[in-house]
Amino acid sequence: MNKISLEKIHEELNPFFEPVGVAVIGASLNPEKVGYGLVKGLKEGGVFSRPGLKGFSGGIYPVNPKVQEILGIKCFPSILQVEERVDLAIIAVPSKFVPQVIRECAQKKVRGAIIISAGFSEAGSEGKKLQEEFLKVAEEANIRIVGPNCLGILYPPNNLNASFGLTLPYTGKIAFISQSGALADSVIDWSVKEKYGFSALISYGNKSDLDVPHFLAWAALDRNTQSICVYTEGLNDGRLFLEIAREVTLRKPVVAIKAGKSTVGTRAVSSHTGSLAGAYAVYQGAFKQSGIIPANSLRDMFDISKGLALMPPLKGDRIAIVTNGGGAGVLCADALEEEGLVLPAPAKEMIERIDDSGLMHPAWSRNNPFDIVGDATAERYKIVLEEAMRSELYDGVIVIQTLQTMTDTVKDAEIVVECFRKYNKPVVTSFMRGQFAEEGIKVLENNGIPNYDDVQEAARVMGALGKYGKYLRERAEQ
Amino acid sequence: MKEKIREIIGKAREEGRNFLLEMEAEEIFKLYQIPVPETVLVEKEENLVSSGEKLGFPLVMKIVSPQVIHKTDVGGVKVGIKSKEDLLSAYKSMIGEVQDKVSGAEIKGVLLQKMAPSGGREVVLGGLKDPTFGPVVMFGLGGIWVEVLKDVSFRVAPINETEAREMVDEIKGKKILEGVRGEKPVDFVSLCETIANFSRMVYDFPEFKEVDANPVFLYSDSLLCVDARIILE
Repeated sequence: MNKISLEKIHEELNPFFEPVGVAVIGASLNPEKVGYGLVKGLKEGGVFSRPGLKGFSGGIYPVNPKVQEILGIKCFPSILQVEERVDLAIIAVPSKFVPQVIRECAQKKVRGAIIISAGFSEAGSEGKKLQEEFLKVAEEANIRIVGPNCLGILYPPNNLNASFGLTLPYTGKIAFISQSGALADSVIDWSVKEKYGFSALISYGNKSDLDVPHFLAWAALDRNTQSICVYTEGLNDGRLFLEIAREVTLRKPVVAIKAGKSTVGTRAVSSHTGSLAGAYAVYQGAFKQSGIIPANSLRDMFDISKGLALMPPLKGDRIAIVTNGGGAGVLCADALEEEGLVLPAPAKEMIERIDDSGLMHPAWSRNNPFDIVGDATAERYKIVLEEAMRSELYDGVIVIQTLQTMTDTVKDAEIVVECFRKYNKPVVTSFMRGQFAEEGIKVLENNGIPNYDDVQEAARVMGALGKYGKYLRERAEQ
Repeated sequence: MKEKIREIIGKAREEGRNFLLEMEAEEIFKLYQIPVPETVLVEKEENLVSSGEKLGFPLVMKIVSPQVIHKTDVGGVKVGIKSKEDLLSAYKSMIGEVQDKVSGAEIKGVLLQKMAPSGGREVVLGGLKDPTFGPVVMFGLGGIWVEVLKDVSFRVAPINETEAREMVDEIKGKKILEGVRGEKPVDFVSLCETIANFSRMVYDFPEFKEVDANPVFLYSDSLLCVDARIILE
C-alpha cells in the first residue's frame, strides 16, 4: 500500500468545511422538509437559534425548478444555471434522482457532495444499485461523497452548517465524527445547553465513499481541532483505519466509542477461538494499538476529549491530589488507581515548607492526597498547589474543591489557572458543581482548565492523559 | 521459510484436508520460533519403544490421522506415559479406540511428545480472521478464564513485543502470571516474543482461517506450546 498522505486527504476534504459556494439540491419552501432546514441552516446557522449564532458568509444556491426564492435567496432550476463557483453540493432529493444530480454536479465541477437522502445500500438491492451508479459518476469526476443517509457536516469556526442538524454548536476545539445522524442532533442540543464547543461535527451515514479514516486525517490537520472523538458502528476498511489512525494520534489525541458490545458480551463462548472473536473486542484492541482512547459511554467520550483538547499528555504516571474534602480525595484516589496511576507520598522537605507557611490547619494530611481541610482558604490552595506543580515527584495534579461556607470558589479557580500557566503541567479539576460553586467553575472553563462535576470523572480523564502520553513515548522509542 | 510452509499447505490441500496435522502445525510454529515440545512421528509399531526411550519418559501420545481433527474426543490423546509398558498398552488402546470411533480412519501412526513439565501456568493464543480488520491475534489465560470469564485481549496482526506486552497487561487475570502465593513470575519476555511471532505467522499466511496454540504452558524461564492447531480457509 502506498504511504497515506494526510495532507492529500485534508486537501480533498477541504470543500466540505471551507467551500466557496454551496448548492442545496432539493431546496424547499416547506418548513417540514429537510430541503428547507438545509437552506435555513446555511443562511442563519440553524433552525433553532442560540446567542451569537451566525450563518455561512459564502455563496448559497438553493436548487428547485418549481421555486423562485427561499428565505430571500434566489432559487435556481438546476445547479448548472448557477454562474458562480460551487464546490460543495448538499443533496436532498429522492434517491432515484441522485445519480442524475451527481452528473450535473460533475459538469459544474463540484468537488464534494453531501447526500442527505436515504434509500441506498441500506434499502435493498435497488438502492444498492443506485449507490453504485452515483459512486461511479463521482469517482470519474473526482467528487468525494459524504453519506448518503446522513445528517451532514457542521463547521462552527466557519459558521458552516452544511447539514439538517438543529443548529451550529458553539465553537470549540473538539471534532466529533459520528456515524449516526440522530445521535449527532441530540449531542448538538446537549452541547448548546452545556456550552460544550465543537470545532467540527461530521455525520457520515452510509460511508459510501468517505469513512472515519478520511475524517480523522482531515481533523488531524484542521487548525481549529485539538482533539477528535469518534462514534462508529463499524468501519469499511479496518486496515486503512489503523494505518491512518496511527498517523493521526501522533498529532492529535483521539477518543472513540464502538457500538454493539452486547451481542458479543452475551454470546456463548467456548475455548474455540473463533467464537471468542467479537467485533467489539477486536475494535478495542485496534483502538489501543493505534493510540486511540476507548470510551465507555458518550458522556465519557466527551469528558475525555475535553481534557485531551485542553491539557498536554502526562509525562509519567504520578499524580497529586489537592483537596479540601477528605472523602472526595479518597474516592478520587481509588479511581486513579483503577486508571493505573499512582499517588507518591510528598518529600519531607515539601511537607516542611508547607508547614512553615503557618497557614495550614494543624490536621492537614501531610500526605497525598493533600487534604488541606474543609476550612481551606485560597491561600492554602496556593501554597500546596504551587508545591505539587513544581515538584519533580508529580506528573499531573487533580484539584478538588467541595464548597464550604468559607470557600472562595473564584479565587481558588484563579489560583489553578495561574499555576497551570506557570508550570504547564497537566491539571484536571473537580470543583463539584452546584448552584453556588458555579462562579468558580466558569473561571476554570473560560481559562481552559477541564473541570468535572465528579471526582471519578476527573480521575478517568487523568487516566486518558496518562494513556495517551504513554503511547506517544512508546511510539517515539520505536 | 515461507516456501516450506506453502509446501505443507499444498500437501494438505492435495489430500483434501482443510486442516493441518498437528505435526505439520508444529513444524510451522517452530519456523516462527514458537517453542513446541520435542516430537517424534512413529509410523511403525516396532519403532515405538525405541523412539519413546530416546525422547525419555514421561511422554504424551497423539493419534495422527487425516480424518481426525479433534483428537481428544475420539481417544486420540494419552498423557502421562511413564514406562515402556505404559507406552505399549497406550498404543494398543488408542489405535483400537480411534478405529472404533472414526470408521475408516486412516491411521498414519502416532506422535510421541516429551511431556511438558508440571507447574506451568496455562495460556491460550488464537489467530483468526476478523471481517473488518483481517488477521487478528487473541491472548488469554487458559481454562476457566477463557471459557467462563472471557478474559481475553485482541490485537490486529502483526504486532511487536511492546504491543504484545500491553495485550498481556490488559487481562484481568494478569496477577496469576505475575505469581501469587510466592510463585515466581512467568517469563514475560519469552511470552511477548512468542505472541509477536505468532501474530506475524497469522499475518503472513492469509490461508490460515484459524490458528490455536492451546494450551501454552508458561514457566519462570521458558514456555512451551503443547497443542498446535491450524485450520485452512
